[in-house]
Amino acid sequence: MPFETMRSRVPAIAFALLGVAAFAHNFDAFQQVTVWDGIYTREQSDRGEKLYTERCARCHGDALQGIEAAPALTGPAFYANWDGETLNALFERMRTSMPQDRPGSLTRAENTDILAYMLRSGSYPDGKLTLDSQGGALTRIKVLMYRPEQK
Amino acid sequence: MTRTRRLVWLAATLLAALTAVPRGQQGALRGEWPTYGGDLGHTRYAPLDQITPANFNNLEVAWRFKTDNLGPRPEFNLQSTPLMVRGRLYSTGGTRRSVVSLDAATGELLWVHSEDEGARGAAAPRQLSGRGLAYWSDGKEERILYVTPGYRLVALDAHTGNVIPAFGRNGAVDLKADLDPSMDLTTAPIGLHATPIVASNVVIVGAAFETGANPKSRRNVKGAVRGFDVRTGRRLWIFKTIPEPGEVGHETWENDSWAYTGNTGVWAQISVDEELGMAYLPVELPTHDYYGGARPGNGLFGESLVAIDYRTGERKWHFQLVHHGIWDMDIPCAPILADIRVNGRTIKAVAQPTKQAFLYVFDRVTGQPVWPIEERPVPQGDTPGEKYSATQPFPTRPAAYARQGLSVDDLIDFTPELRAEALKTVAPYRLGPIFTPPVVSRADGPIATLAMANQAAATNWPGGSYDPETHILYVHSQSAVATLGLVPPAEGAADGVRYHQGTVLAGARRSGGSGSATGQAGGAATSPTVQGLPLIKPPYGSISAINLDAGNILWQVPHGETPDAIRNHPLLKGLNIPRTGRPGNVGTLVTKTLVIAGEPGFGPTPSGERGSMLRAYDKRTGADAGAVYMPAPQTGSPMTYMLNGRQYLVVAISGGSYSGELVAFRLP
Repeated sequence: MPFETMRSRVPAIAFALLGVAAFAHNFDAFQQVTVWDGIYTREQSDRGEKLYTERCARCHGDALQGIEAAPALTGPAFYANWDGETLNALFERMRTSMPQDRPGSLTRAENTDILAYMLRSGSYPDGKLTLDSQGGALTRIKVLMYRPEQK
Repeated sequence: MTRTRRLVWLAATLLAALTAVPRGQQGALRGEWPTYGGDLGHTRYAPLDQITPANFNNLEVAWRFKTDNLGPRPEFNLQSTPLMVRGRLYSTGGTRRSVVSLDAATGELLWVHSEDEGARGAAAPRQLSGRGLAYWSDGKEERILYVTPGYRLVALDAHTGNVIPAFGRNGAVDLKADLDPSMDLTTAPIGLHATPIVASNVVIVGAAFETGANPKSRRNVKGAVRGFDVRTGRRLWIFKTIPEPGEVGHETWENDSWAYTGNTGVWAQISVDEELGMAYLPVELPTHDYYGGARPGNGLFGESLVAIDYRTGERKWHFQLVHHGIWDMDIPCAPILADIRVNGRTIKAVAQPTKQAFLYVFDRVTGQPVWPIEERPVPQGDTPGEKYSATQPFPTRPAAYARQGLSVDDLIDFTPELRAEALKTVAPYRLGPIFTPPVVSRADGPIATLAMANQAAATNWPGGSYDPETHILYVHSQSAVATLGLVPPAEGAADGVRYHQGTVLAGARRSGGSGSATGQAGGAATSPTVQGLPLIKPPYGSISAINLDAGNILWQVPHGETPDAIRNHPLLKGLNIPRTGRPGNVGTLVTKTLVIAGEPGFGPTPSGERGSMLRAYDKRTGADAGAVYMPAPQTGSPMTYMLNGRQYLVVAISGGSYSGELVAFRLP
C-alpha cells in the first residue's frame, strides 16, 4: 500500500478504533451478546411501559398478547418471527413501520425504551447497561428465546 | 345415426347435463386465476398438472416483486392473492394498498396505481395492502376494482391503471358517504381489507371495523353489504345485517339493542353462485367480541351465513352458527361452493370453515343442513349483565377438524414434569368445552377462561380449498389457546360497555403499578406457556382433507416443521418429537395432484438459512410431496396459472424483518 494512501487512512482508522473502544465500554468487541445479557435498565423499561401503553397497547393489547391483525410481541408466536434475529432488525421494523397510525413518529430513544419494555415482558433480565439506540450497537445483540448456555 | 348410437348420444348428453358444474365451482379455468378464490365459489382449485409430486422439489424462482416502494414505507404483512388474466398479474401491495399490474412471465412492472388518502387513510381501521382485488370484463373492456384503506371503491382500466372517470365520482365510490351521508368521512371507523367480488355486472362489498375486544361504546357503525353497478358505480341494493323493525330477525334484538349496536359486518370474502343468482355472506359478530350485555338476544344476522339474491340484495335464507356470540368466532372466511353427492343425491352445497373448527355444510339452494345440526345445551357463566344463549348449534357431520375448548387432556405432555407444571399453570383458570364463556377475571381465580378454536382461530381469513372433481375439501387449522377474561375498562365503564377483554394480571400491568414481569416467558397475562413451550400438545397446525360426499375426515397432517424453539428446548433434549406443525393462518391451493401451502412463521429449513418452506402434499393421502425454500413465510395464499406452456406458483411472503414480496416459482 502506498504510504500516502496509508497516511490518508490514519484518521479514519483511528476514528474506527475509537468507536470500538467506546462500544467496548459496554461489551467485549468480539463477544456474542444476546438479550439474556442484561442489556437494558429497569428505568428504560419503565419509560417504555408508559410509551407502550400510550402508543402500542391499543392494537397489540395490554399484555403484548396481540389482537387479531396486530401480532403478539411476546410468547411463542413472537419468537416464531424473531428468534435468531438481531435486535437491530426488530428495532428497524419498529422504527419504520410503527405505530401504524403514525409511523416514524417515535424517536430512536423512545423506540429503544419500548424495546426494553418488550424485553422485560419476555422475562429477559435487566442490568446496568443502557440499551443503545444506535444501529451499530443493536446489530450485535441477538434475540434468543432461550439462554444460549442452556442449549 | 343408428338407434343405438342415438341412445348412447342421448345418454351421454343427459349425463353431461346432470354432471355439468356451474361456473362458480369448477376451479380456475383456462390456466388463469381471475378472482381471489380462483372462481366465484372460492374453491382455490386449478386443474393444472405440470407441477407434480415428482418435480415439486425442482421448482425455482421465476421472478420476485418487492413491494417496499409502493408506499411511503415498507410493509411487512402482504396478504394478497394476486389475479392472473391474459398474461397479466394484478395485486395490491404496499402500505397505501397500491395496485400493480405485472408481466406474469417475468414480474416486470407494467403499471402502478396509488392513492394518497391523507388523514382518512391514516385513520383507517384496516390499513396496509389488504387481501387483493377483483377483475371484470365484458369481453371488450377490462377493469380492476379494489377498496382503498379509506373505504372507497375504485375502478381502474386494467390495461393502463388509469381510473375509469365514469365510475362513481371520478373513478371511485365513497363507501362511507354512500352508507351514511352524515358520517365523518375521515374518522368513521369503517373500512375493508377483503377484496370486492364481481358477479355478472354487480360489485359486492362488505365492511370491516376496528377489532372488537375493547370497544369504547356499545354503539358503532353498522356493517351493511352493498351491490354496485360495475359500469357506473351506482348502488343497486343494500343488505342490512342488523334487521330493522318489521324485517326478519328484528325480534332477536332485545331491549331495542338493534338500534345502537353496530359491527356485524362482512369482512371476510363473499362467494357467489351465478347460476342460482345468489351470494353467500359470512357475517361477523355484533359490537363487542366478548361481552354481550348491551345486546341481549341472539342478534341476527350476527355470525350467520346469509344467502341473498345478488341482483337485488333480497335475503333468501340464513343460518346462525353462533347465537349471541361472545367468543369472537365471527365467520372469518369465504363459504366454499361444492356440488356433492350424499347418499346418492346430488346437492348443491355450501361448506363453511370456521374459527371454531366446525365445517358447516348446507344445501345452498334452501339453507337446509346437509347433515343434521343440533341445538345442544352449552356451559353458562355469571358475568353481571350478560344473558347467555342456553344452546348452540352443533354439526353432527363432519367431526370438528381441530381441537375445541380446553381440557387437561389437551395439555403438554412431552415429559411428566412439563405436564405437572401445565396442570399447575391452568389451575387458576376456567377450562371447558367449546362455548365455555369468558369470565370476569379475579385474582383468586378464575383468572380467565382458556380455550382453543375461538378468537384463537382454528381457521381464519385464508379459509379452505375444494377439489370439484373428487369432492374433497382441504383446510388448514391451528391449535392455539386464547385467554378469555373480562376486566372493567381502564378508563371506567361507559355507554353500555362494562367490560373489556383482559385479566387482572394485565389490568394491574396497565395501571402502571408494579409492572413486573411474571417470571415466565410470555407473561401470565397472555395465554400461559410452560417453560416457554405451548401449553398444549401438538399438533399446533394441521391440514385436513374432508370428504364432502361422506362427511368424514380423510386425512390430517401436521403442517410446518417443528419450531426451533421446541426442537432446541433445553428440557426436551434427547426426546424424539415428531413434526409438530406450526400455528398461524395458512391458505391452501389445490391442483390436479397437490395440496400446496407455505409454512407459517420462520422456522428451520433444510439449508439452515433463515426462512420458511412452501410445502406440497399428495392430495389423495397427505404424504409429503416436496418443499421449496422461501426467505420469509407465506402471508398471502398461493395461486397458480399457466403461461406460454409453463405452470407458475405465486405466493405473497413477508413477516418479521422481511418486507412484502411476491415470489413466482416454475420448473426449470
